[in-house]
Amino acid sequence: MIIPVRCFTCGKLIGDKWEEFARRVKTGEDAGEVLDSLGIKRYCCRRMLLSHVEIIDEVLRFYEEAEKRKEARSYYYQQ
Amino acid sequence: MEKDGNTMRLLIKGVDTPFINALRRNVLAEVPCMAIDEVVIIENSSVLHDEIIAHRLGLIPLKTDLDSYNLPEECSCKSEFGCNLCRVTLTLDKEAKDGTITVYSGELISENPNIVPVSDAIPIVKLAKGQKLRLEAYARLGRGKDHAKWQPVSTCTYKYLPRINIDAESCDACGKCVEICPRKVLAKKGDKIEVRDLLACSLCQDCADVCPKEPPAIKIGWEENAFIFGLESTGALPPERIMIEAVKILKKQLKEFASQIEVQKA
Repeated sequence: MIIPVRCFTCGKLIGDKWEEFARRVKTGEDAGEVLDSLGIKRYCCRRMLLSHVEIIDEVLRFYEEAEKRKEARSYYYQQ
Repeated sequence: MEKDGNTMRLLIKGVDTPFINALRRNVLAEVPCMAIDEVVIIENSSVLHDEIIAHRLGLIPLKTDLDSYNLPEECSCKSEFGCNLCRVTLTLDKEAKDGTITVYSGELISENPNIVPVSDAIPIVKLAKGQKLRLEAYARLGRGKDHAKWQPVSTCTYKYLPRINIDAESCDACGKCVEICPRKVLAKKGDKIEVRDLLACSLCQDCADVCPKEPPAIKIGWEENAFIFGLESTGALPPERIMIEAVKILKKQLKEFASQIEVQKA
């Protein structure tokens, strides 16, 4: 859903590193090198970022669509 | 021995395994630190449930001030709800007015400017246009044995200090041990094998296994009374402070144990 605050295994704080990680990987940098530069050494913490999918962005789209429909419906009934 | 931000490595000599393990366990389970424990959700129209948000808030490490706060069970107020000496209130009030926003840990407003999240960039939740999040969170001191959020460290380890003996007479510097070592502990220098980085050795014994001599010219052992102690703080407390607190707690425990034995004898 949204990036976990801490590594599941060791408890290191990783939530604050996600946005930088995602941005830099998107620009074409090597994911392993980005992790190294962020100071994420252990493989438990590395997999947290590597395997993460930010689904919350998609979930938010459903909410936005539902709101739009609600608006359209209320507009229709006003007519 | 070395310190880099939140991580620290120590070389401890003249102690035995039970002692150093007690120290490690105290660091993990007994040294108190601050974390959000209770959350009152006033309004939450985000896509995450109240419980998930509360859990995420709990896991955010907070900078801890051990000297001015008490553990709730040791506080003089004896109140279940807590007082100014054992509780910190943090509030959050966010609404996405135009477009999607991310709510960060830095937007939590603390009543004490010293007790704030370690990092301001931890995402708590994302809000779509029109969604609101309003809450009040109460942070308390706690111990790692009650919940991992109260652990002041992410890792706390110790290992034996390695001792590498190379028999200069039988070693012909074939270099096989240098090649196989996964941590690059050894180096070839002229017609001799030398230890380059002793502390990196993981005692895997690969070098002794690969040595063509019988018995192997290289012998990996460890010191009985010296340890490399590693500690990685979450940022709640500086690593030195965690060590000091752990030693203090161990002292207290031993004193209590001794007094119990006295009572038994009497």
